[in-house]
Amino acid sequence: MVTFGGGARDEETFAPEGQENIPHLMKELIPQATFFTQVVNRGILGHYVATASLATGVYERFDNFADVAPENPTVFEYFRKGLSRPANDAWVIAPSNGFNRIGQSGGGKFAAGFGAQVVLPKHLLASALGRASVNSGGLDFLLQDNYEDLLFTPSSVRSDVELSRLTEMLHLSVDDFAHHAKTLSSPDELSVYVMRQLMRQFAPSLLWITLHDMDVAHTGAYSLYLDGIRRTDRLCAEIWQMIESNPDYKGLTTMLVLPDFGRDSDFNASGNGFQHHRTGDPLSRTTWMMAMGPHIRENVTVDRALDSLDLVPTLGSLMSFATPLAKGRPIAEVL
Amino acid sequence: MVPSELRAESFARYQPQARSFAVSNLSVLRRMPLILASLMLRQLIQFDWCFPAEREQLSRQFDLLSGLDATSFDALMAPFSAILLSAELRGMEWVDRPQLFSEQLTAYLWSEHQIDRYHKAAQDYQQYLETALKLMTPAGPRWTIVTVGQGSEQTERPLFRKLLPHGALFTQVDPAGGLEILLAEVRSRAQRYPIEYAHWYIEGGAPHAAGVGATNLTTMSYDRLVPVARREFSLLNQFASRRSTNGPVGVEAVSSYVASLSPEDLDLKGTGADAVLRHFEVNVLTQGAGCQIYSTTFVQWAARECLHRAQPLTLFARFSTRQANAPMEQLLVRDPLQQPQDQEGSLVDADMGAYYTWINQSRLTGAEQSRFLVWFEGHRIACAIAPTLSRSTTSTASTNLRQVLDWMG
Repeated sequence: MVTFGGGARDEETFAPEGQENIPHLMKELIPQATFFTQVVNRGILGHYVATASLATGVYERFDNFADVAPENPTVFEYFRKGLSRPANDAWVIAPSNGFNRIGQSGGGKFAAGFGAQVVLPKHLLASALGRASVNSGGLDFLLQDNYEDLLFTPSSVRSDVELSRLTEMLHLSVDDFAHHAKTLSSPDELSVYVMRQLMRQFAPSLLWITLHDMDVAHTGAYSLYLDGIRRTDRLCAEIWQMIESNPDYKGLTTMLVLPDFGRDSDFNASGNGFQHHRTGDPLSRTTWMMAMGPHIRENVTVDRALDSLDLVPTLGSLMSFATPLAKGRPIAEVL
Repeated sequence: MVPSELRAESFARYQPQARSFAVSNLSVLRRMPLILASLMLRQLIQFDWCFPAEREQLSRQFDLLSGLDATSFDALMAPFSAILLSAELRGMEWVDRPQLFSEQLTAYLWSEHQIDRYHKAAQDYQQYLETALKLMTPAGPRWTIVTVGQGSEQTERPLFRKLLPHGALFTQVDPAGGLEILLAEVRSRAQRYPIEYAHWYIEGGAPHAAGVGATNLTTMSYDRLVPVARREFSLLNQFASRRSTNGPVGVEAVSSYVASLSPEDLDLKGTGADAVLRHFEVNVLTQGAGCQIYSTTFVQWAARECLHRAQPLTLFARFSTRQANAPMEQLLVRDPLQQPQDQEGSLVDADMGAYYTWINQSRLTGAEQSRFLVWFEGHRIACAIAPTLSRSTTSTASTNLRQVLDWMG
């Protein structure tokens, strides 16, 4: 699962004038994919709460900036409990502090202990920079957190002990980590780097990565927003190449790519166009989804409207586990 | 408190003109549902710092509402009345702190999946006002002139693509003396229509000499306001540090704190005569995300707010280069005027900013007679939108900006 976040409009992606920003999706991935042109998010348009809703199949209603777990069971819990999978078989790579609780629900509707492990690559890097012998100069831009809540750090982010354990689990030395990070150019690139390590080390069956660079749009700099989209486009293609070049995944893996939501229309007077996602107008709610994999039809376009909540039941059907509390319906075109 | 319990004393903490206006319109406020009353107060509490156009709009709105019969009034209010509020919201100090109430209301409406319903109610109400209130014809055609790419080299990127369907592209404009020509036109219009806050110059760097000191021209610039923005971040950090000793600081608390900052808090000094402008400048910096750190965002947002609030007859907006991107932690503390500049990115930002400025101008009365010109500063390309010019046309003939202005009528 790849969320093409945080927040991209059709105008800058699949609309005719936006296709120049997504050459990899257009030329490399679409020909291999079933593409859904309308995915409607009817929930709260905040990145954490919207991504949590994608992961639970229920429109979560919590404060986007609060340090809380999703109320409803996550797809990771359904997966692990339903198929009796170990902890290392479900992972989430999340972009910022606020996402650290996304792996497991907190609403008491599901037995505890079946959640996904959540990696916050920026925390991993912060830990690395704090201890590594290498000079940290030039790397700190990768620590950029989300663009809306800079001053708010949830109290339950991972401790250094946990970070060390995680680094050890991934067989990364901090110097090695920092050395590789030096060759990268964005927080999302760092996330994809960590994803590659996870795939090599644990080959998890369910892997969820949330990309976020394009949310720099909140600063109002259109050029940086476009840069974020172009980078995410390239990273999606790299992720697919990682899948296709890894024997544990090649020919066995379904990849779903979708934005968490869009951004405001240029023509909604209460917004300021691409900069935010506050109006709840149709453009900010309507996005797309791409499905690729061995059993997915290639080069097919589906125009019927899906609901964001259809994702979890679809994953359940694809992987043969039940998702009893999730809303939405399995997407027949990918089953 | 519910609106029907409002009394003159309820507005004791308001500024003099705001209090007087509220008391004068007490009977209307008392009949409004809580949501709409709080929205009105959010604007009304700023009455002393409102532009003439805003005061006029508020007065006409209340005059219209006070003249409605009970049935019509209740029907107009019904969509707002139908939105149920929590006891917590109803118990808030919405009269004294309408801004905070509005923030809490927004969060509540999103969480209760009522935000679309609220937007529909607000849009219908706005539509009613626009229909019922006779359009105020501006004293003359509105003109907006935007320059982009200050200091940028020639670009391969096609500019003004979003504007071209609405106007004419000129590809052989003589750039010599371009700024002087445009600012002379702005000064001329300011003399022709000597109306308070009707003519604006918004500058992304330091103001051009040709625009300084012009009569009836309201000028604001990024360079002058950078110290104010840095003071804002400093105060915000102090606030967050103080509060975080008791746990994480919430978004609402930060928003309310920022909204409470005054020109005096931010060391924005001036006289009583320019108090309205100083409050506007503070509003731009405290409500516009990104315009503290990026000059391109500053010009776009300031132009948007200027058009929306002051409804000027003339706006000259000049984009400059912004600082290069950096970690947010650095952007929040460093001086943006002392950093490497991102010329290429700034041009992309400004191109989009020009488009948004045209959209915002198009929302004002008299839009069909409005004129819009954008010029790639120092270069040969410009795009003009005017009722006198054909749309989607390109002229490759040699010309100059004075001639283009004349063609725009």
